[in-house]
Formats: sequence, C-alpha cells, structure tokens
Amino acid sequence: MEKEFAIRASNISKTFTITEDSHNTVKHRLFNLFNPPRRKILEAVKPMSLTIEKGECLGLIGRNGSGKSTLVRLLAGVYPVDKGEIEINGSTLLLNLGVGMSHELTARENIYVSSSVLGLTIKQTDALFDTIVGFAELQDFVDTKIKFFSSGMVARLGFSIAVHAGAGIMFLDEIFAVGDMKFQEKAVRVFESSWIEGKTVVLVSHSLDIIQKYCRRSAYLKKGELVFLGDTATALEHYMADNH
Amino acid sequence: MMEKNNNESAASRKLERLWLLAKIEFKLRYYENRLGLFWALLKPVLDMAIYYVAFKIVLKSEVPHFASYLFIGLVIWNFFVESTTGTIQILQTKKYLYQYSNMNKIEIYLSVLFANSIGFFFNLLMFFLFYNLADTRFAGLNGSNLWIVPLFFILFILSLGTSLILSSVYIIAKDVHQLWTVFTSFLFFLSPIFYKLSSFKSALPGFDYVNPLAGIIINARRTMMEGQQPDYHLLLADTAWAIGIAAAGLLLLQKLGAKAAEKL
Repeated sequence: MEKEFAIRASNISKTFTITEDSHNTVKHRLFNLFNPPRRKILEAVKPMSLTIEKGECLGLIGRNGSGKSTLVRLLAGVYPVDKGEIEINGSTLLLNLGVGMSHELTARENIYVSSSVLGLTIKQTDALFDTIVGFAELQDFVDTKIKFFSSGMVARLGFSIAVHAGAGIMFLDEIFAVGDMKFQEKAVRVFESSWIEGKTVVLVSHSLDIIQKYCRRSAYLKKGELVFLGDTATALEHYMADNH
Repeated sequence: MMEKNNNESAASRKLERLWLLAKIEFKLRYYENRLGLFWALLKPVLDMAIYYVAFKIVLKSEVPHFASYLFIGLVIWNFFVESTTGTIQILQTKKYLYQYSNMNKIEIYLSVLFANSIGFFFNLLMFFLFYNLADTRFAGLNGSNLWIVPLFFILFILSLGTSLILSSVYIIAKDVHQLWTVFTSFLFFLSPIFYKLSSFKSALPGFDYVNPLAGIIINARRTMMEGQQPDYHLLLADTAWAIGIAAAGLLLLQKLGAKAAEKL
C-alpha cells in the first residue's frame, strides 16, 4: 500500500526577478516607461519533484544560497510556485525563531490567534494556554501587548506557541542556531522529547549531527538543484564530497 | 462518514477562526481609544450632523426627512469606505498571519469585513432607533425593511471584491492608496448621499446603474424609509456589479496577492 503523503511536489520551480530599482508606484512606473529597470534572473529552485511522507522527518542540507529556504517556503505554501504543482495535506508551520505574531496584540491574543491559524479550536487552546505561558515564562505579562516585550520574550512566546500548538507539517529552519544558549538547550530538549512523534517534520540545518540523529531520509540541494533525495548517510556523503 | 465529520469540523474551525479574528479586529479598532464602542455609534451621528448643517440649514435642501435620508446613506457609504480604503494595506499589516503558514488569505479579508459588519449593524440599530423615535412621520417598521439583508449582502460582496483588487494592486503599486482616496472623494459626490434623488437622476441619467453604491443607497431608502419594494432592475445591476468585481478581485488575489509574502 502506498504511504499517505504530507506534501507532494511535482516538477516545481521558482525564479526570482531582482530589479536594481524597484518600480513599485504608479508614478514611478509612468515616469520610467521607457527606462525599464535592469533585471537579474535568479533561479532559486530548479525543476524538481519530491514527496514527503506523513510522519517522517526529512533533512534538508546544502550550502548557503543553495535554495533551502526558498524550497521550504514553497513546500509550506507561503510562496507560490512558478511552475509545477504542490499538494499540501494539512496545516503547515514555518518555524525559525517563532511563529508570526502581531505586535499590536497582547500575549494572550497572540496565543489564541496563532493557535487558531495552526488549526486548533478555542477549547483546545484554552486547555493548552497555561502550558504555553508557563513554558515561555511569561505568566506576569499575559495581558501586555508584545510590542512592550524584549526580543527574547517575543522569541520565547513564539517558540512556545509553535511547540505546543504546532501544525501537522512543521518546517524547522535552523532552529538550533538562534537564541542564547539556554534557549538552544530548550529547543534541543523539546526535540528530544516525544514532540516530533506523529508530526511531519522538514529539518533544515547546517548541523550534520542533528540531521543524522533525527532524519532517516534527507535531500541535498546544490545551486537550486535537487542533487540527491534518499537515505541520510548517502545525502551527507554527497554534501561532504562537494565541500572538500 | 469520517470524512464528512472531518470536513464539518474543519469548516467549524474555520468559522471559529474568522469570528476570533473579527472580534480582535473590532476590539483593536474601537477599544483602543477612550470613547470605545461609543465612538462606533457616535461617528455616523456626527457625520450626519455635519452634512445636515451644511445641506439643510445652509443650502436649504428640500429633501423630506433629510436627517434619516442622510443617515442611511452615510451608514452604507462608511461601510464601503472602511472596507476598501481601510484594507488597502491589509496584506502588509496582517502579514504575520500568512508568512509562516499556508493560511488562506481570503480568511483575513473576511475577518476584517466581519468586524466592519459588526460596526454596520450597530449603526443600523442607531438608524432604526432614530427613525422610529425622532423622525416618526414616515413609513416606520414594516416587512419591506427585511430587504436590508440582501442589500447588505450585495454591499458586502462589492466591498470584499474592491478590497481584494486594491490590496493586490498595492503589492506592485504602493500609491494606489492615494489614488483610491481621490477616487472615493469623487465617488462620494457622485452618489446620492445628500442630493435629492430626482435631481441626481436628472443630472446624471443612468448613473445609478453605473455606480453600484448609488443603487444600493437608493434601494435601502426605498425599503427602509418609504416602505416600498426595491427597484428590481437596480438590484439586479448591483448584484451583477458585486459578482463581477468579486470575481476580478479573487483572480487578482490569485495572480498578485499570492506573491505578497515575497514582495511585501
């Protein structure tokens, strides 16, 4: 029987057009009708197909600028693809430091809004609320607008929401490389608990140890091209061979 | 069976999310200032007072029941302006909702328009109170008042479509905000908000079909103030406008709005 898929991408690609001078007003466009800006085409993700199975943890490796972050945004449905098709089976969450939050809202409101966006009901959020606040260590600031928070407090809240509310498909983009040491320890501890069980996780990291530890399958990207997708050991070999 | 239950719970979760976002939006708008919700009720009354002084007292307008006439026109106009001018930058201000997940952007628009609808119904309530308690010489409460429901639905779809178009264009042309502000001032004077209907129609023949807001305002007055049935031709034209603009808006959201996360 074919395994259930979380994401199926067929022949997807993404190109960015970078203009030297951004013409983003009607006035600017009119005045520069005969003087178009110089464009540069950047093929961030070259045509590729891949399937991510439900419940698996897939590693994503490649050097800086190899298209990892763009691919992750395409697979999460945040960026539209130029060509090809993506089927996403469930809610997705792209997590680097935290989840998206409004600085005009209080911690309480952000918890409810973010959890709701991630697919939780208000009742489910009620049940998780104290845990989220406790983990973020923000018990005394629940009804304070987060624009008055320090960046560390915002990061803790975002991470706590992501960890507890989560989404069916999580994209973790270098989560072990941000925040202070205590924060990183906390991230690792969460990861080592049973948190990822049952979730589909795409893990982007330069730390090969972490990829090796958690991912059975990995994808290796090079200059926007999917060079290899399969067992992690072979993917790492490709990566090492190209970097030495 | 299970799939049906799943679909149902997904739909109810979506509705719950829309309601939650709408409540927060409403709270942000009105509870952030000192007058709070009172401001939502006070605004159309103050608007009405200003135009009343200008047109009834200074310019001696001959429109009967001028205060109620103005009131219903302004309530509809304000909803349209708040839902369009007020949402041009929505993809920028609400970016936090979609830049990390695959949330459907249309939900963001719906929640903001729902928040505006709460304001609209408060204003409508004020209108009912006003015209039944203060301006009692005309038709009063009757069955034709119910036409306000489909009329509001048309206004909602029209505003949603316009909002989708403007906010999508904003991604590639930031000054659409300034252009739209000028356009709405023009549209305000091309809508029968404070003119006598007969002079509006003779000065701009057929324009009530060109400007869908004019049609909605005319029909709202017929059904809410005069105890008449709506003008069905106008109703049909407005429905066609609303559907056409909403379809264009959805198309633009798909073409331009989809790129909001990378362009804004």
